[in-house]
Amino acid sequence: MVVSFRRKIGLLAPCVILIFAARLSAQPPANSHARIELISEQNLAPPAKPLWVGLLFQLDAGWHIYWQNPGDSGEPPTVQWQLPSGFTAGPIRWPQPIRLGGGTVIDYGYEGQVLLMAPIEAASKGHATSIPSLSADVKYIVCRELCIPGKVHLTLASPPHGDWGQWRALFEQTRLQLPKPAPPGWKVSAESNKSHFILSVRGAKQVRSASFFPLEASQIDNSSPQGFVSNRTGFQLMLKKSDQLTKPVSTVRGLIIVGPGRAFEVAAPVVSR
Amino acid sequence: MTKTFLRSTVAILAVLILLSAAWAARVGEAAPEFTATDTNGQVHKLSDYHGKFVVLEWSNRGCPYTQKHYNSGNMQRLQREWTGRGVIWLTVISSAPGKQGYVTASEENAYLKQVNAAPTAVLLDPTGALGHLYDAKTTPHIFIINPQGTLIYNGAIDDRPTTDLADVNGAKNYVSAALDEAMSGKPVSVPTSRPYGCSVKYPD
Repeated sequence: MVVSFRRKIGLLAPCVILIFAARLSAQPPANSHARIELISEQNLAPPAKPLWVGLLFQLDAGWHIYWQNPGDSGEPPTVQWQLPSGFTAGPIRWPQPIRLGGGTVIDYGYEGQVLLMAPIEAASKGHATSIPSLSADVKYIVCRELCIPGKVHLTLASPPHGDWGQWRALFEQTRLQLPKPAPPGWKVSAESNKSHFILSVRGAKQVRSASFFPLEASQIDNSSPQGFVSNRTGFQLMLKKSDQLTKPVSTVRGLIIVGPGRAFEVAAPVVSR
Repeated sequence: MTKTFLRSTVAILAVLILLSAAWAARVGEAAPEFTATDTNGQVHKLSDYHGKFVVLEWSNRGCPYTQKHYNSGNMQRLQREWTGRGVIWLTVISSAPGKQGYVTASEENAYLKQVNAAPTAVLLDPTGALGHLYDAKTTPHIFIINPQGTLIYNGAIDDRPTTDLADVNGAKNYVSAALDEAMSGKPVSVPTSRPYGCSVKYPD
């Protein structure tokens, strides 16, 4: 049902706003363990809306790249856009990461395939325009046990015939994996004691388990177990403080992930006890 | 019977103290005492160096972040400058046997010669005991201990968390800044930072 609906949309779309996906074939560096492409969701910049493009990373089994906060080691990919005048690129939207590594060194990142989306905005938003000529310099590090830094220049090209639908679905799937604002009923705060932040979420009754992914480095100890306690009004997570944290912080920022596609971005004001 | 009980209690307590070691390497507190063997078979204790500044530098020659600082000559420069000013510079290798970056003593000595490195000594830590005692996360990861034995720095080598050689110039070097400040009796203005690098390859 969903598929046939999507197909219809897919057939209609070109007539209405000419949705195609553009794709580029990047020459992946040999033995890099990461193939990266610059892809577009559409082939016309839609009127009054951003054009979404993305860096599609495909990683060899066992290899990973990093989230915006990489955790204990590594670093996130960075991108430098080259855009025609009148266009600007927004920040990368990072899908929910997974925990990587083990023992006392824990990282946050992605394995397998991940699309890092970014919006391209046109200064004049009157009507659909042809896709701007885009390129990007991407720097990244891909690790398994070994780490290999990479650098690649990508250019947005046209998709092969009839290939566009594939990318559009990927953008849609990725959107579902982006963190969302916390549900309106949630009341989030963090109590600070000598060793821990106790993150409390009130108004979250059906949550059976949750994990916290810090957006700031050096706030919490990434490898310590996060004690989870649910009560009548919501739940709490015990987050051990990082050894690198020497000054009081006013806000603990991060994602609370309660399941696949259920990542919520929170900024918990810190109350000292 | 009672003696055995006492002994096992003491043993359990010792284990508990070791387990809580991740807490021990906090800036402003006493740096944990350790005993470790270098690539020439010499035994080093932290307490041997009471009265001196001690730098601990976690290293892995196969890691591109470590390579940035050795291929640019930055690490060797720091080692020469600070040992020349009386600092004890101990490089630590915590890669476990079979893990990336594990080296034997003779392999490491050959490498030190090849890259013209100048630490006071390189401590081999194949069990990861010293790494876990300080909770070293990355290569590089730097700890600085003052002459009184207090940890005064825990963090990155500098403020450019990349593998780019070009980033060495123009970076703010936290090690030099901390040592400069501490030697002139000032508080260390950046006592902690997020260490950056490859993960330390501890045993599974």
